[in-house]
Amino acid sequence: MLYLELFIQGIVQGSIYGLIALGLTLVYGLLRILHVAHAALFTLGGYIGVIVTNFTGSFALAMFVAMIVVGVIGMAVYKFAYEPILHRPPYIALIASIALFIASEEIYRIVFGPFGLSYINPPLQGQIEIFSGFRLKHGEILVMVIAVVMLSALAWLSANTRTGVAWRATVTDPEMAAAFGIKIQNVRYLNFFIASALAAVAGVLVALLNNLVEPTMGSVPSYKALAIIVLGGLGSIRGTLVAALALGVIEAYGTIYLGKILDRDALAFAFLIIVLMVRPQGLLGEK
Amino acid sequence: MMLEVRGLGAGYGDIVAVRDFSFSVEAGKVLALLGANGAGKSSTLMALMGIVQQKAGEILLDGSDISMLAADQRIKLGMAIVPEGRRIFPDLTVQENLVVGGHVSEAATLAAGTAQAYEYFPRLKERTGQKAGSLSGGEQQMLALGRALVSAPRLLLVDELSLGLMPRIIDECYEVLAKLRSEGLAIVLVEQNTEHALAVADEVSVLEAGNSVWFGTAKEAAKDSAITAAYLGTA
Repeated sequence: MLYLELFIQGIVQGSIYGLIALGLTLVYGLLRILHVAHAALFTLGGYIGVIVTNFTGSFALAMFVAMIVVGVIGMAVYKFAYEPILHRPPYIALIASIALFIASEEIYRIVFGPFGLSYINPPLQGQIEIFSGFRLKHGEILVMVIAVVMLSALAWLSANTRTGVAWRATVTDPEMAAAFGIKIQNVRYLNFFIASALAAVAGVLVALLNNLVEPTMGSVPSYKALAIIVLGGLGSIRGTLVAALALGVIEAYGTIYLGKILDRDALAFAFLIIVLMVRPQGLLGEK
Repeated sequence: MMLEVRGLGAGYGDIVAVRDFSFSVEAGKVLALLGANGAGKSSTLMALMGIVQQKAGEILLDGSDISMLAADQRIKLGMAIVPEGRRIFPDLTVQENLVVGGHVSEAATLAAGTAQAYEYFPRLKERTGQKAGSLSGGEQQMLALGRALVSAPRLLLVDELSLGLMPRIIDECYEVLAKLRSEGLAIVLVEQNTEHALAVADEVSVLEAGNSVWFGTAKEAAKDSAITAAYLGTA
């Protein structure tokens, strides 16, 4: 049963990775920017989640507030950090993004303190016995449910609404999309809002599972999410999700079986190197 | 006059693709823009849509200057483009491509426009749920035409309709153009295939290196051996 337990734990972790990395893929798909600062928005989501929950006692409200606030801040990041340099080569935006990420960690340290915050009464700590001897916290189940609900909702919207179709058209050919009256600017704002709101959800959930948010919470996810989107084949949404879940599961097994040789956080890159040797275009990427 | 262009200058960034270009087209007429590759024909069409930057001149639609309007406003006023290289959205289905064509339209116009596009090109109807990238070249051209028709335009800008297509498909597309003209659409047609262009056009403007060098009726163009030899590639 250990195999199954590890697998489920891996899926929980992979769901978190998926929520974070999907935002990166959305931004890369539309603007070809590696949005490292995305992980800073993930951390901010965690802070807002803890603070609002402690203040109001409602975890659901905290989740909602985190999505809206972080979503709007994500739009501001696009407007003020990326838009002015869009016509420059992509590495300029990458450097700006890294700077923004480092600055955010310091800002969190100054504003929220260096030692991190925890839930006063951590919600969803109850456990359910999945099968004999294996229990999952409500919070862990919530992670999987939220990931499935959010991603299905997004998939449905992108296929079945005019806005969704316009967004996909813009990803493929922005100039042609504009020639049919699609407001590229609005698509970009929407894109950043959704990407950032997803990161916020992940931040709130990670804060819940660890019962801790600290300024550096985003550092490991920042580079791991980059590895995931490369693994998935840059820009491929399905590839990103497959890579995220695969990495979650591999880490879960790896920590048990390879823990003495390789650090958990190094596994992502070992996996990345192996996959890229065999499939340079990523797991589901096109050549 | 439906469309009147006066002294148009346009280009990408610092590059000037069109200089001081004037022409006009009225409802139910076809104006053909002819000239070699790189003469500025495609840039002219994209500038009319508001996609390529307009640097000088006026674009008058029904007498009022639309130079400052964004593409969505121009579409609402009745313009639509069939771009060079078709540029359908390959990852989207046929139906979704048509939905993009009617992006600025009301839901009712979108529904009617989509039905209209399928009526013109029954073959698209059979492929409605298929990825546009998997269509044949001819079907993609039909989709590009259909996509432009969804918003029920009065002025259609058509770029290289015949490029890389089988003669039978070209004829089919030109039949639709002729039908559209008879319904009162104004059409600006960019075309390398002189024979087809002259057959459908009422008037012809010849562009060379960003400048207009000849203007006249299609009949005059066909007769003028200097024009045909120098710019139209037929002796």
